[in-house]
Parts: sequence; C-alpha cells; structure tokens
Amino acid sequence: MTVSTGRSVLTGSIGAFRGRVGLATLCFGGHQIGEVLVPVLVGAVIDTALRTADTSALLGWLAVLGLDFALLSVCYRLGARQAWIADVCADQRLRLLIARRLLAPAGGAEKGRLPGELVSIATSDTKRVGLVNFGLPLGLAALAALLVAAVALLRISVPLGLLILLGTPPVLYLIHLFGRPIERRSEAEQEQAAQAAGTATDLVAGIRVLKGLRAEPAAVRRYARTSADSLAATLRATRSQAWFSGTVLIVNGTFLAVIALVGGRLAAADQISTGQLVAAVGLAQFLVDPLQELGWVNERFAQARASARRIAELLGAPAAVRAGTGRPPARVDGALHVRDLRHGSLAGLDLDVRAGELVGIVAADPADAAALLSCLAREADPEHGSLQLDGVPLADYAPESARAAVLVAAHDAELFADTVRANVGAAAPGDRDLTPALAAARADQVVDALADGFDTVVAEHGRTLSGGQRQRVALARALAADPPVLVLHDPTTAVDSVTEAEIAAGLRTLRHGRTTVVVTSSPALLAVADRVVLVDGGRVTALGRHGRLLADRARYREVVLG
Amino acid sequence: MIDRELLPVATPTRTRRMLGELLRPHRARVVLAVTALAGGAAAGLLVAPLLGRIIDLVVDGGGPEAVTLPAVGLVGVAVVQGLLATLGVAQTAQVGEVVLARLRERLVERALGLPLDRIEAAGAGDLGSRVTEDVAQVGEAVREGVPALARYGLIIVLTFVGLAVLDWRFLLAALAAVPIQALTARWYLRLATPLYAEQRVAGGAQQQQLLDSTVGLPTVRAFRLAGRHTELVRQRSQRVVDLALQVVRLQNGFFGRLNLAEFVGLALVLVVGFLLVRSGTVSIGTASAAALYFIGLFGPLNEVLFLLQTVQAAAAGLARIVGTADLPEPDHPVPVRGAAPARVHVEAVAFGYRDGPDVLTGVDVDIAAGARLAVVGASGAGKTTLAKLVAGVHRPDRGTVRLAPEPPGSSLREAVALVAQEVHVFAGPLADDLRLADPDAGDAQLRAALDRVGALDWVDALPDGVRTVVGAGGTALTVVQAQQLALARLVLADPPVAILDEATAEAGSAGARVLESAAQRALGGRTALVVAHRLNQAADADAVLLLDGGKVVEVGSHAELLAADGPYAALWAAWSGDR
Repeated sequence: MTVSTGRSVLTGSIGAFRGRVGLATLCFGGHQIGEVLVPVLVGAVIDTALRTADTSALLGWLAVLGLDFALLSVCYRLGARQAWIADVCADQRLRLLIARRLLAPAGGAEKGRLPGELVSIATSDTKRVGLVNFGLPLGLAALAALLVAAVALLRISVPLGLLILLGTPPVLYLIHLFGRPIERRSEAEQEQAAQAAGTATDLVAGIRVLKGLRAEPAAVRRYARTSADSLAATLRATRSQAWFSGTVLIVNGTFLAVIALVGGRLAAADQISTGQLVAAVGLAQFLVDPLQELGWVNERFAQARASARRIAELLGAPAAVRAGTGRPPARVDGALHVRDLRHGSLAGLDLDVRAGELVGIVAADPADAAALLSCLAREADPEHGSLQLDGVPLADYAPESARAAVLVAAHDAELFADTVRANVGAAAPGDRDLTPALAAARADQVVDALADGFDTVVAEHGRTLSGGQRQRVALARALAADPPVLVLHDPTTAVDSVTEAEIAAGLRTLRHGRTTVVVTSSPALLAVADRVVLVDGGRVTALGRHGRLLADRARYREVVLG
Repeated sequence: MIDRELLPVATPTRTRRMLGELLRPHRARVVLAVTALAGGAAAGLLVAPLLGRIIDLVVDGGGPEAVTLPAVGLVGVAVVQGLLATLGVAQTAQVGEVVLARLRERLVERALGLPLDRIEAAGAGDLGSRVTEDVAQVGEAVREGVPALARYGLIIVLTFVGLAVLDWRFLLAALAAVPIQALTARWYLRLATPLYAEQRVAGGAQQQQLLDSTVGLPTVRAFRLAGRHTELVRQRSQRVVDLALQVVRLQNGFFGRLNLAEFVGLALVLVVGFLLVRSGTVSIGTASAAALYFIGLFGPLNEVLFLLQTVQAAAAGLARIVGTADLPEPDHPVPVRGAAPARVHVEAVAFGYRDGPDVLTGVDVDIAAGARLAVVGASGAGKTTLAKLVAGVHRPDRGTVRLAPEPPGSSLREAVALVAQEVHVFAGPLADDLRLADPDAGDAQLRAALDRVGALDWVDALPDGVRTVVGAGGTALTVVQAQQLALARLVLADPPVAILDEATAEAGSAGARVLESAAQRALGGRTALVVAHRLNQAADADAVLLLDGGKVVEVGSHAELLAADGPYAALWAAWSGDR
C-alpha cells in the first residue's frame, strides 16, 4: 500500500476494520436508544400505573423497562467489543507497518529522530489513530441518540423540546470555553508536575555516579527542590480544575432549573402531563452525555490527525542508501578497493585490501574512521568515489546482500535482550558450531563466569554484562557470522590488556585466509595485522607493518601509543 | 538465577500508621474537605425533592406561578453545590498532593542512602519501579481516585439517606441492588488488578522491544536481523492486543452486572412507589423523586466501583513505597573537599563478596601522597574490587585500608571519590549536573573545571552553554563528552584521593586518548588509583601494580618492571606489539 499523507493513514486505518466499526456503530446506537428510553419509561410508569393505581399497567411497563435494560446492556457490550477490537488491531497494524519501515535494509526512517521519539510514534501515535476506530462509532451513535431524544422531546412539547435542544449546545459551549484555558494551563502544569518522577528515576539510574562522588546529600536536596516545584504546579492545576468542575455543576444545575420552571408552567397549564414533565427533565439530563461524548470524539479526531501526520512522515521517509538489486556471487573472494573516497571528513581516500588479508587501519581523527565505516556498512552512499568488492561497486548490490558479503561490526554494536547463545548465533549461517568464535573472542571466559553459561539471558543493551563482557560477546557474534569480508571497529577497548593480546592471536588464526579489516589504535591488534594503514587528514599517509611504522613514523607512534 | 533480596514491603498496619503520621498536620484541612463535600452532596439531594415539589404543585393544580419558587430553589442548590464541590475537591487534592510529595521525597532520600550492595542484591529494577511506577500509581489514585471517591461516595451515602427521608421503604428497595453490586465489585477487583498489572508489563515489554530494536538499528541492519526483530515486535504487540481483549471482556462483564443491579433497584423503587401511592402514604411527586434519586445513583455508583480498582492497585504500590521510606534515616556522607592529598595505605587486605570465595587475598599497597598508581591485570583479577575497597564502598573482610594523615572526623568514603566506567549524564541543565559534585560552586568554578578537562570548548558550543539541558530528554552527549563531564565533576568534588575505574574504556581508542589527558589533569594534586586497560596509562603512572587471581604479582614503576622482565614486561610487549 502507498502511504503519503496523514489523511490516507487515518482513512486506511478505519477502512481496514470498517466491518467492525460499522457493527459497533449500530450497537452503540442501540445502547443510546435504550438509555433514552429509561427516563421515558419511568415517566410512563408514573403516568399510567401510579396515577391510576393499575397493577397490570405497572407490571407491563416494568417488563418493558426490563427489556430496555437488556437491550442497552447487550448492545453496549457487543458494541464495545467490536469497537475495541477495531481499535487495538488498528493500533497494532500501524505499529507493524512502522516497525517494517524502520527495520527496512535501506534505512533512513530514523534519520533526524531520537529513539525515544520513534518509539513514541510506534506506540502513542498509533494508539491515538487506533482510538478513532473506537471514537467514530461512539460519535455516530451519540448523534443518533441526539436525534431520538430530540424527536421524543418535540413530541412531548414543541416549546419545551426547542428550549432543551437549542439551549443545550450553547450551555456546553460555554462550559467548553470556560474550560479551555484551564485545560491548557493544567496541561503545562502537569508536565512540570511530571518532572518530579523524571528526576527521581534519573537520580536512581545514576546512583553509582552519585555514590562515587559522595553526592547523595546534594542529590536529595536537588530532588526536594524539584518535588516542591512539582507540588506547587500540581496544586495550581488541581485548584483550577476544582473551580472548573464546580462551575460545570452550577451551569448544568441552573439550566435544569430553567427546564423545570418552563416544563412546570406548561404542566400547570395542562399543556403536558406530569409523566411527560418527568420524562422531559430526565431527557434534559440525558442529553448532556451524548453531547459531551461528541466533544470528546472531536478532540480525539484532532489528536489522531496530528498523530497520523507523524506516522505518514515516518512511513514515507526517504531511504538512506540507493537500493541496488544485484546479489554477490556465491563465492566472494573478498578483495576491497576504495578509490578517491570523499565522504564527511575523508578527502580522497584510496585503499586496497587483498583477498584473505588482515589489515589494520589507524585513523588519527575518529571522524575519518566513522565516514569510512558508514560507507562500507552501506549506511550511507559515498558523496564521491567508489567502494568495490572483487571489482563490483558495493552499491550495485541490494543493501542486505552487500552486508552479507561485507560485515561491519561497529564499536558500539548492540546486544539484544536474549540468551548469550542467541546473540552470538544471531547471524551465524545454519547450525554452525559457535565454539571457535567464542574462543577467539575470549567470550568463552564470559560464558563460564555467567550463572546459566551460554544460556544466560542478557538484558536489553547487554546491561547485565560489564563493558568488557559485552564487547567480547559482540565480537564473537561478528566472528560467528563468518562473512567473506569482516570489518571490526575498536573491538577490544573495554577489554583488559592480557585478554586483548589473546584476542589478537585468536582473531588472526580464526580469520586466516578471510579478508579482515580492523579499525583500531590498539597496538596488540595492529601487531597481528599483515599491513597497517595510517589515515590522517582524510587520506592514507603511511602503510606498512606495525613494528616498522612504530620505529619509522613519529606520527604513527604518537597516535598508537599516546 | 541469583536470589533476589527485594527491598522491604510495609505491612498494612505500618502503611496506615505512616499515612496517619503524614496526614496529622493536615487534620483541619481533612475535616474541612469532608464537610464541604458532604455539604455539596447534601445540597445535591435537594434537587429531586424540589422537582417532586414542582410535580406535586402541578398535580394539585397550583397555578403556573407556584412553580417559580422551587425553580429558584433549584438555582440556589446548583450554586451551593458548585461552590462546596470546588472547595471540597481542592482541599482533598491539596492534602493528597502534599502527603504524596512528602512521601516521595522521603522515598528518594532513603533510596539514595541505601548501600550499593543492598540495591544490587535487590536488583536495580526493584528500586527503579518503586520510584517510578509505584509513585505514579499512587499519584494517579491521589489525583483521580481519592477526590472522586470521596465525592461520589458521599453522594451515594447521602442519596440513601435522602431515600430514607422520603420513605424508609424506598431505601430498602434501593438496598436490594447492593448485594449484586458488592459481588460484582469483588469479582471485578479479584480479576482486574492482576490483569491490569499484566497489561502494564506487556505494554512495557512492547515499548522495550521497540526501543531495543530502534536503538540497535545499525546493528540490526549490519547483521541482517530485520526479520527476527519484526517478528519480536509482532509477538510483543500481539500480547498487548490479547490482553486488551481480555480487559474488554472483563469490563463488559462488569458493566453488564451493574446494569442488572440498576434494573433490579429501579424496578423495586417503582414498585414500592406504586404501593405507597396506592395506599396514599406518599404523593406521586415523592415517588417520582425517589425514582429520580435512584437514576441519579447510576453514574456515581459506576464511578466508585470502577475507581476501587485504582485504589486497590495503589495500595500495593503504597506498601512498597512505605517499605522503603520507612528504612532508618541514612547516614549521608559529608564530602571532604580541598584537603591536601593523603597517603593511601592498604595492608594485608582480603575480601570476598557475600558467601563467595575471596576475590582479594593478602593485598598490600602503598600510594604516596599525590602519587598515581595504575592497577593492571586480566578480567577477574580483582582490580575493581580493590578500587571499591579503597573508595570505602566495601569494607575489607581482613586487613585495613587507611589514609595518612587520616582526615579528621571523616570516614574513608568521605575522603575518596570514585569515577567508574559507567557514564550517566543527569537530566537537566548541565550546570545542575556539575553542581551535584559541589552545590556551592559558582559559574566561574564550573567553567574552570570544564576547562581543566578540556570540555569548555564543546560546552560553550552547546545551544545554551552550561545551561543547556542534557541527559534524558535533552541534548545527547557522546560517550567521550559524558566521561569528560564525569571528570569535571571529580575536579569540583575536589577529593584528596581519587579513583578512576576504567573511566576511559567505553570511549573507543581515539576518544580514550582525549580522556586520558583529561584524567591526568583532573587527577593533578590528588592521590590517585587508576584501573587501566590501555597500558600507556600504566606507563604514565608513578607506579604500576599487577594483580592476578586476587594477589599482587608485581609492583614498581613502569621502567623498573620493564627492566625486571617479569610478567608485566611480557604484558607490555604483547600490548605494544613490540616483539
């Protein structure tokens, strides 16, 4: 499906569940009619049974009242069920569309948006659009109820009916006008009030830092200030809300008094019956509900439109890279050729990596490394120049095929909430034995130290592991994927020097004969490379073995040994 | 799995006692609130008799003019009702909010005072959920539940009184519906609270999965995991949908039963009215008023029964909050600031975590005043444990850790500051973050500290300089910037002894160089212990300590150890690739 505008997102979301929305509308309509009939029937009981002391009339009307309650109850439940399903399923449908777009190989959907914002679009905004599927039947039914109540009122008495029908909307509008500024103000104040919660969470999250600095008293004072500010804001908000609800009571009560006055005079003049007067008062009280419901539905629609716009923008975000269609041959030799690459801080980088070679890249400026890596990972199209794999431009391949051939393992690669085994094996072909990759990355040590070994569940972002453990598991995952070309970025920064030396040796052995590029300034890793390239000022300035470069190049020594 | 030693949960008695304690200063206000709400509800009860009076006047053939007086009465009732409701709701909210604020302040104070190992034993999530979810849930109850419950509860009670005043038999008829409502409420509460809790968990899991996949997007793409992650999102989302459908089923059952109660009550009230009118005991107006009273109960009853769930859920959260807020008052440290560097003396120290084996045994270390010691060794050698012992986070099982000269009247922990690998930028203006380390620091001091760690340039380049809002919800800082900030805090905290535990490790190799020089400047004028990954940090230090398996293997200056050609020399050769 093509999604371009907020409007089409909204109509698409309703249309996908139109059957349920329609059914819910009918049911909610039935419920509303049932509700209208309650005061009407009570009026009938008073008129026909109480005034005449007619037992059979009483029983008859009570039976009708019972049927009415059955109708309104069953209708409400059926309608709520249908509307609710239409609501949550629409919410889910949009969430999955967004997830698919976000996770698409060509990328680009996350550009310019923070993760929290993306999650909020995929949860809060989808929920608001979904809610339309609940609000729409409710609104339509409220309209129908208004019509029925209007007919009933006008049948009782034209002047009284007109008074109620024409008087109610202005009364509600008055309340709305009065409530608007309060609502806006209290929203701002509630936001400020929510800060106390945010600060508390934040301080607890940083408790180790606080303890390290002995800053607990300062933190407690800071929280007390935030809490006091929040309290003041909340109190202002609740006070205005209290005034608002009090005013609503006064306005509604006064309007009811006017109706009673007019209705009473009509009844006294024998223009309507007593029962009709009771019914009219009941109906006037009833009218408030559907009218308020309409106002509520209207607000939800306004919110949903804004949400649908955000969703449409995300779904229609341009791809980050040109999507080629080709696939690399079954056997990739793994020779990399970078020609005159200008991208970000890179100023015409030339680089050749022979098939099966282990090459170290030392970048004096981290920006150079980042630019090269994002091109190799097909996260971005190079501004100028080319990257070729076995003589074919990488951009000719579909992004996911290119990444299958050239795997770039980022320094800050994420671990996901799952077992260590699932994380390490995430990209491993078939039922490959993961042990060699674990051993080479010295992640075997990590696994041994964990309570449930290889099957220990890792929390999101690998939070339950230390930095060094996380890095070794991530490295094992990259090694287990066994790609024809593996590019590693700073894979051992959080690993102690003893282990780092072991990893360097393990990497060398495991990747023997497979092209491997390590972007790092770790001497231990650079020492095992066949060749090392120094990138300085956006281009290659030196090339050779680590030991030679250390001895001959002062700049290299400075960058690597600090 | 590790056994979790959750933080205490208060007993109902203890929770009530603490609430009583917190409410005591507001007694007058509570009385005022209840009086106002009761008065408002009582005024509201006059509506039905006044309407009944109009009907009676009509039936008795009083002319159109007679209707005016009761109509004016209705307006008066509306005004009184509105004003009293305003007063009552505002006062209830005031009491509730003030008590909630005191409670959350005490919770945070006690929480921050907990020793780290106690928090870790409970799992970080336990404390986190008390501070966030439990406080939010109780807040919701205070804001939405309590005032509405008080108001509607009083309306219900007074309506029953009103029915009794009309005729006691109307009250009996109305009460006939109560068993149905009571059973419904009990049934609903039993099912709803766990279901809503499950729903929150599922919603959280969905949110977490989306965040996990979104934060890890580059990783997902690099390892071609899109299919798996889409499926995970679908599963989490499906769980949310399934639970939502269970909720609608439950609520439908709830409202269906209440509809039944409404019908039973209304029919009985009408029957009683019929009988009483027929026997001439009450007028048609009174019978009408009784019916209107009862119809007027539908809304408040639904609200109250529905709100009971919010209150029940809040009570569980409240017990957890009070459990923590009730802990003994913590002994917050008074940091030693600006003292001359002290000598650190570690003698024959042994330490093991809880019932585990010793992590350190027989460790002797001496750091001269103002000197820098680098601690190196493999993972699990005990480097971080040694750092925590010197920082006073843990006490040694055997042996001693002392400062010389001992800071007068202060403990080890108060004299030593520790900066670890973990980066956390506190949400809010950057200046507030820094002032956690020194609450009295002026802007000039903040800038000097930032300058000392080489962070002033980028801080000045931020949209609002030191007032820029950073951390969660603000400008995102890089790992290197966040760690520079940590070092600037150290400068402001100005302890005589400082410990850096792999404080430069997460940054990547280029960032590590920036941080190492920042650390060097931050440590000037202090005695320092640095746990190092990159051995060039060891080469720059005054002394190097090599740990292995919890024991000291070698100690000496970098040059001495290289000359000794022992394990450290081998390590250096492997690290520098100098073979």
